[in-house]
Amino acid sequence: MGRFWRKVFVIYWKDLREEFRSADHLLATLVFGTMLVFVISFALELVEIGSAQVFPAVLWVSVFFMAVLALQRSFAKEQEDGTLDALLLASGDRSVLFYAKFLSSLTMLLLLEAIVVPLLWIFIEVETAKVTFWFFLAALLLGSWGLAAAGTLLNGITAQLPGARLLFPILTFPILIPLLIGAILCTQRALAGEVAPVLGWLYLLMIFDLVFTVLPLVLFDYVLEG
Amino acid sequence: MKQGLKSPVFLGLTAIMLINICVIVFYAPVERTMGIVQKVFYFHVASAWVGLLALTVVFAASILYLWKRTERANDLALASAEIGTVFISCTLLTGPLWAYPIWNTWWTWDPRLTTTLVLWFMYVAYIALQGGGAAEARKRLAAVYGIICFVNVPLVFFSTRWWRSIHPVVVTGEGMGLTSEMKAAMFLSVGVFSLLYLHLLRLRIKSLALQQRVKGLKAELFS
Repeated sequence: MGRFWRKVFVIYWKDLREEFRSADHLLATLVFGTMLVFVISFALELVEIGSAQVFPAVLWVSVFFMAVLALQRSFAKEQEDGTLDALLLASGDRSVLFYAKFLSSLTMLLLLEAIVVPLLWIFIEVETAKVTFWFFLAALLLGSWGLAAAGTLLNGITAQLPGARLLFPILTFPILIPLLIGAILCTQRALAGEVAPVLGWLYLLMIFDLVFTVLPLVLFDYVLEG
Repeated sequence: MKQGLKSPVFLGLTAIMLINICVIVFYAPVERTMGIVQKVFYFHVASAWVGLLALTVVFAASILYLWKRTERANDLALASAEIGTVFISCTLLTGPLWAYPIWNTWWTWDPRLTTTLVLWFMYVAYIALQGGGAAEARKRLAAVYGIICFVNVPLVFFSTRWWRSIHPVVVTGEGMGLTSEMKAAMFLSVGVFSLLYLHLLRLRIKSLALQQRVKGLKAELFS
């Protein structure tokens, strides 16, 4: 068990260093996310829609698109550089690779959110008086967790098909619908400061996360076979 | 056995489909409040049933493919997904025909409607993933996706149901809100549609196998 997680950590650390050394992709994703929240909040302002109400929806749609961009590379870059086989040989176990990639994707997603979410918060002028912050952060964390887990599993699938970049969002979005519902409802109630009625939704997010964290243990061997 | 329009299976199926339509039109009573538009229900439920059945077959065939790696298992999964898409599309098209006069809206975000739409998207994504078909990797990856989709359906359904529901629940704890003639017509319709599904499945698997053979022969010829 200890050896397993040590291997996971080594690959995780390698992934993060790689991303930060040539930060082009991370920066491009950040710029994209920033632009996305700017465009959406500005568009809503133009039609004079009371924006604080739409904050949860805008937030999660932005996070979804940003996640697709951020996660698209996790396996694709290994495939392009021809390093996937080496990684498989080095780790010896395919689920090691999944968990390492999942954790590095989650870390990057959270870093991106740390910048983009406050920005959206300012653009949309959310009232902070009533907000239950721990619940808001819990929803954000659990939502990102599920995005990273399901996204990593599906990126493992699409990365192996040359010329199938567009397939990644197409395969991923329908799978993420339960997550979208739970995350948006939790965020909405967190802003209103009445979290008791939506505690169940937080559990749903946990169940989703659990399913897509455990399912790869069975399925990932088949994804990266051959 | 004869093929195409003259095959006994096709003729038999046509006959029972006609009987099914007659039963729906003449035998099943006109619903008191909804009127004639309720008749679409028999097609709607039957297509939805076939859609779910087809997804289950995709799931089972995907597992079978990962286990045995036979061409036939993949053909079965792909054929079932394609036919399932057609039937789910029928469900999505017949629903609004009924919903507009009864609910006064073409579409609403009810759990069943949402789940069906998500199901449709997953089917389409699955077929897109299979598209091209040839490489072994595609089949293996599609099989994995087929399993993920099946696991996801209950999550989608319960999350949307938890959120809200206005769709009529036909089968409840206290039995069905249908007269016995209506029930008979519904079960007949479900049965006939299932047979249609099986027939289409057989034809499609055959055509997929023939496609493979043609490809093989071509490769042999030009090598």
